[in-house]
Amino acid sequence: MKLLYKLILVLVGGVCLNANAQMPHDAIYMNKNSICIAATYSNSQWKEYWENNLKRENFNIGTHTMQSVMPMIAYGITKRLNLLAGLPYVATKTSAGNLMGQKGFQDLSLFVKYNMVQSESGLSLHGVLGGSVPVSNYVKDFLPMSIGIGSKTLTTRLIAHYRHSSGFYITAHGSYIFRSNIKVDRDAYQADDRVYNTNEVRIPNATDVAARAGYYKKGIQAELFIDKNTCVGGDYIRRNDMPFPTNNMKSTGVGFYGKFQPKNIGFTVMARRVIDGQNMGQSTTLSAGFLYQINFRTKSAEAAKK
Amino acid sequence: MKKIHLSLILLAAFSLVVSSCNKDIEEPLREAYIPTKLDEKGGTWKTYILASSDEVAVAEPKAAGSTEYQAEIAKLKTTISTITPENKKAVAYWGAGAVYRWNEIARELAARYNIPPASNAEGKYPVPDATKPLADPKFPFANPPYVSRAIAYLSVAQYDALVAAWNYKYKYNRKAPSKNDAAVSALLPVSDLPSYPSEDAVVAAASYTVLVAMFPGEVPLLDAKLAEAKNARIWGGMNVDSDISAGDALGKAVAAKVMGRAKTDGMSGANNQTVNAAAIANAKAQGLKSEWLSQELPARPPMLPNYGTVAPWNFDKATMIAMRPSPPPALDSDGFKTALDELKKIDKGQTREQARIANYWSDGAGSYTPPGHWHRAAANLCFQNKLSELATARVQALLGTSQMDAAIACWTLKTIIIIRVRNSLV
Repeated sequence: MKLLYKLILVLVGGVCLNANAQMPHDAIYMNKNSICIAATYSNSQWKEYWENNLKRENFNIGTHTMQSVMPMIAYGITKRLNLLAGLPYVATKTSAGNLMGQKGFQDLSLFVKYNMVQSESGLSLHGVLGGSVPVSNYVKDFLPMSIGIGSKTLTTRLIAHYRHSSGFYITAHGSYIFRSNIKVDRDAYQADDRVYNTNEVRIPNATDVAARAGYYKKGIQAELFIDKNTCVGGDYIRRNDMPFPTNNMKSTGVGFYGKFQPKNIGFTVMARRVIDGQNMGQSTTLSAGFLYQINFRTKSAEAAKK
Repeated sequence: MKKIHLSLILLAAFSLVVSSCNKDIEEPLREAYIPTKLDEKGGTWKTYILASSDEVAVAEPKAAGSTEYQAEIAKLKTTISTITPENKKAVAYWGAGAVYRWNEIARELAARYNIPPASNAEGKYPVPDATKPLADPKFPFANPPYVSRAIAYLSVAQYDALVAAWNYKYKYNRKAPSKNDAAVSALLPVSDLPSYPSEDAVVAAASYTVLVAMFPGEVPLLDAKLAEAKNARIWGGMNVDSDISAGDALGKAVAAKVMGRAKTDGMSGANNQTVNAAAIANAKAQGLKSEWLSQELPARPPMLPNYGTVAPWNFDKATMIAMRPSPPPALDSDGFKTALDELKKIDKGQTREQARIANYWSDGAGSYTPPGHWHRAAANLCFQNKLSELATARVQALLGTSQMDAAIACWTLKTIIIIRVRNSLV
């Protein structure tokens, strides 16, 4: 299900953004005037999905695959205020049946992350504001083949982080994601057990929460995480029907994230498996990224260091 | 710390603002209108099932000056003075038109039931059971031929019942309550159409009777709609009780006659899967080299393969055969290859505009089907042109019976020439 991806990519700020030296859900910051460019490839597959709460497979889909390549850029406005932007190119396909695969540039996302509290003890609080807009007029309601649902989103997120001087850390975050209504190609559709005679489709808002624990020191990062993405309301996939953007999609996933960045060049890997869900596929996502960091050491930065 | 508090407060405030944005879907309002024509001679229009517009008797109403009628008017005034905002909403909703709304309800039920059964553990597709409409799979599977027929019967019942109603309206000529008594304040525009029997009650009762037969799992919903449709005419000050009860009885009686045809039109044999072998043999005898194969996994049996034997409305079988097009081009002919290449080209490089058009017209599973799509277009045109209930029903009956006949003729050909282009695409 593409929505799974949508959730991962945009809502959690997930797989693709994970590639960066920092992410919209971590407590890592670029130095002032540093730029990091990154590219991540992700592959997400599912064979079983939850039709409402019924877990099933579908011989006319076989295995559903969504792949994406996400270039992104992060910029340190200051050491405590960072900007992150990304734009994934997404392609979908199935191993069986005749659903036409879709591909294209999806949604441009932009996040601002601010270190609100930083105590000497290692405890910190961070606020994130973000948003995304579709950059192309892709087909939005051809789930599970659509590359996105075409909604404009606004995300607010609070991150709490504790890092011990040894390098071990724990992080927790919660987000609320506003998702705008969309317009689809058809002029009537079924949702909420009724027919809407319009091309406007109401998209439920969403939340995401996650807890992470790991180690980060000297360019090495390794963490385990659990996350939960939940729509705020929405309807369900009817028996043997197709999914629709109004569906109340939920997923709980567990995974591993690792980064190795000895100097300017770094690599990331991520694996996530959905362990529970509703109205979406039970996907396994693997991603690998490459990043390159450019540090512009300005006089003021030097001075600040001293 | 002040800075911290400020950023936290800003974050919280922003979250609150975005989470409370109103995203309600607004659909076009449908305000009641006075029809451009009342179709006074409508009682003489040609019916489908009724032999004449007075085949079902409707008793003469009490005179305007009678104690009984005056008591009804007094009761009506009391009711109007006590209606709730919810009642007013119902009045406005049904004010769009009885045929308009019942056609919309039928389309909604069509969409709700338009889902093909799932395959079971044995790799078979269970056949929906009319006696267990809400079991899995639900009955009916409201596929396009099913919906074309359901709305055809709905529209014919509405139309025949309204022709009869028009006959009695102009025979008895009872004025609307607010025209008999200026103290009755109607919530909707009132035309000069005689109010006995109530055209809204006629349509509601006729529609209810057909839809309960077509969608037997929806009785509670239809009960509620029927009650609300009739009550809304009282709440709105448009009809007195006797207008409604006469309309209700007439609508039910006419629809029962229409459903008499439905019971014997051949639909019960439409899903007879034993006809397929003969159809394939027949196609091969005509020189066709490959037969239709389901592209689904597991293979799904043909949808209502015997639907072509259902009785059409507007012509007989001989006429239908005379209208048949010539057989399709052979699979190895240049004509077929050219056409197939065009499809393959689109399959590889579909443009966004092609996708938009395809999505608009796809009307697939979970939709109100192509026949439903056209009924909606007709309903909107009737509304925009301010047609009377009777004229609206006539348009829908003409469209509905034509679509059902077209589906029958189409299905006949499908089973004679049992082939599908998709086979060749694989």
